[in-house]
Amino acid sequence: MAELEKTTPLPAGNQAEPQANGSRTDGSQTDEPRVGVYICYCGGNISDHVDVEAVRERMENVPGVAVARTNMFMCSDPGQELIMEDLRSGTINRVVVASCAPSLHETTFRAAIARAGGNPYQYEHANIREQVSWVHHGDPATDKATRMVAAATGKARLLRPLEPIRVDALRRAVVVGGGVAGLRAALDLAERGIEVALVEKSAFLGGGVARLGRLAPTGEDAAGLVADLAGRVLAHPAIVVHAGATVTSFGGYVGNFKMEISPAPAGDPATGPAAASAQAQETGAPGRLADLAPGDYAPGRGVAAPLLASGPLALETGVVVLATGFADYQPRSGEYGFAEHPEVVTLPRLLRELAARDGQTGNVLLLDGRPIRRVGIIHCVGSRQIPGVHQEDENGHLNEHCSRVCCSAAINAANTIRESWPDTHVYEFYRDIRTYGRGQEEQYARASANKVVFLRFSAEEPPVVRRGTEADGFPLVLGVKDELTFGEDLDVPVDLVALATGMEPGPIPELVDMLKLPVGADRFLLEVHPKLRPVELPVAGVFLAGTCQAPMDAGETCNAASAAAVKAVSLLGRGFVELDPFVAEVNAEACTGCGACVEACLNEGALALEEVETDGATATRARVTPALCLGCGACAAVCPEQAIDVNGWTLAQYEAMVEMIVSDAPFASCGTCASRAGCGAGAETAPGA
Amino acid sequence: MAVVNPEFLQTLALSGQDAGAECFNCGTCAAICPLVDGHFPRKMIRYAQIGAEQRILENALELWKCLHCGLCTRTCPRGANPGEVILALKRHVVAAWRER
Repeated sequence: MAELEKTTPLPAGNQAEPQANGSRTDGSQTDEPRVGVYICYCGGNISDHVDVEAVRERMENVPGVAVARTNMFMCSDPGQELIMEDLRSGTINRVVVASCAPSLHETTFRAAIARAGGNPYQYEHANIREQVSWVHHGDPATDKATRMVAAATGKARLLRPLEPIRVDALRRAVVVGGGVAGLRAALDLAERGIEVALVEKSAFLGGGVARLGRLAPTGEDAAGLVADLAGRVLAHPAIVVHAGATVTSFGGYVGNFKMEISPAPAGDPATGPAAASAQAQETGAPGRLADLAPGDYAPGRGVAAPLLASGPLALETGVVVLATGFADYQPRSGEYGFAEHPEVVTLPRLLRELAARDGQTGNVLLLDGRPIRRVGIIHCVGSRQIPGVHQEDENGHLNEHCSRVCCSAAINAANTIRESWPDTHVYEFYRDIRTYGRGQEEQYARASANKVVFLRFSAEEPPVVRRGTEADGFPLVLGVKDELTFGEDLDVPVDLVALATGMEPGPIPELVDMLKLPVGADRFLLEVHPKLRPVELPVAGVFLAGTCQAPMDAGETCNAASAAAVKAVSLLGRGFVELDPFVAEVNAEACTGCGACVEACLNEGALALEEVETDGATATRARVTPALCLGCGACAAVCPEQAIDVNGWTLAQYEAMVEMIVSDAPFASCGTCASRAGCGAGAETAPGA
Repeated sequence: MAVVNPEFLQTLALSGQDAGAECFNCGTCAAICPLVDGHFPRKMIRYAQIGAEQRILENALELWKCLHCGLCTRTCPRGANPGEVILALKRHVVAAWRER
């Protein structure tokens, strides 16, 4: 790699940089722009299509460029060291890196600049991989790279040193959702000394897990898990629980969010003023509030929690953790005979029946007094739906995702049935078995040993449920074209059909609107990056925990919730939050207070007019709240006086970029011909490059 | 049209210990079998698994092509003992024949 590092010695007479070598103490103290250009090979990703050395040589011609270097991997330690050494020696005071997309390594290089004692915001990034080498080839690629790097140097020359915006952060958190994810996150936050308000829409803590029995694959008791977590949350001095409450307004910014919660409206039987009676109903005494005290466990519902009596209640918080959970897919009427035959139920319903019989055994499973000799479980109901094959719901949605937990849940249920009621046989109708986690494949092997029979269908030819005749001897018959029996049509007479329904995101349209949450194509909430920032949202200070993000089992949900809690704590740990300084700034001298910028502003509260005293007179001026500014530039576009600009992206900087894009300066006197006019696109590569 | 019958496995238990319940239909046995083409012995084991007794009797002659070399049993990734299942099916077919 070392031999690939080529350095342009500072060309004498090049207008920006006077001295070549030796002591640079004088020059380094001034802020006269000395731009260092660092061009990356990306191990061939760039250099296979862009003549990187030619781009480096052309940069010698560009005004303001003090040094231009190349490296096989600029992001590597030796690559970063090149930049840091030039900064430390005073050779440069602005940095341009031409490499991959800034989303990958902009922060890498900013951090390197800071480590070398420079200002990390005097940095500009040219993306010559995604925008050049991956989409262009040959000389046009080299020429486009040249112009993009030149444009970056044009902007870099005008970059002023900036400081990050520092805002004080309240050491408080609001957790929205009282399921396992919300409980776990609340506990983890509280254990680190953060005050937590836990807001739950229903009257109970425990969420989706409270509706389950034995959890796959460990066989842990869901009720025990929920009771343990909820008990610790209710007992924790740093956690306040507001059940039966919904979020009714939201504003502010990271470190200083303002949220309002109100008692959930009536109408939804699980929430609101109705929540009180829902709690009471668990004891069979409707309307009597006191019957189910907070902390009491209601089977299938969860742990009763203190209800928000009146509202709205204002909460101030530094961070928000969203743990709004999932909803079970509801089969359409007629889907696999659902709602047509009473013997067709959902798997969650069957799991509740099994939970109610926990620890019981017998010859044959009895449901409503009816012996169940055979059960057919159909997988992928409301999951992995295929456009053109499956019917969309009333809103035009298809669940194309795999719900991940149903295979294990179905097989776990099959094992429970086979081991507790040996005369009840189980048939699993599946498309693919996805028992992906630790201990799950063992459950599949156990199902085989328990003589559970698997039948495989294709999505195009799903099983058909029909009413059985007397000759069948069973109330229902499942007809299936079984791929494991070489495509033969099989009849499976059964007493019960259970539909392994998938997971859908919880219905939270109001929260999505209020918090401006990004939603994926699958309608789950969408993280910034699935691997690098898996529990964060683009809205700083708002985190994702659990199944509001994607289908997860209880263990994965707790992983995600703890991750969100740790991210939140690390954000609040210093007591303040630093934000990028790319926000609008008003030039009070030029501002006339016309208010055009305030009207154009996209984020409420980021811009406002205020009265200021200037020279003894009162004048109206625009004022920016930096923590709220999105840096979009809508204000700069409408200001008639050009009195507002976005730091790091000023109009002058844009103009400099455009000038350098059209400039032929980089192509001048490239050595191939004598012309200083610049031959532009298609210039022959300089010798030796 | 074949009808599944879980009781068949109990009947088959009279003819041998192994009924192929562990089989997950991978087809390794059919691939390794040196003598018979088609899906032998996998298909027979599948019929036993789902209890399609009629199919087994209809195709009973196939069972006697097997020479019990043991390759399938040695290579089965699930330890489902395919060779023994074929033996059990042979015994069952002979017995079922007598009953007719």
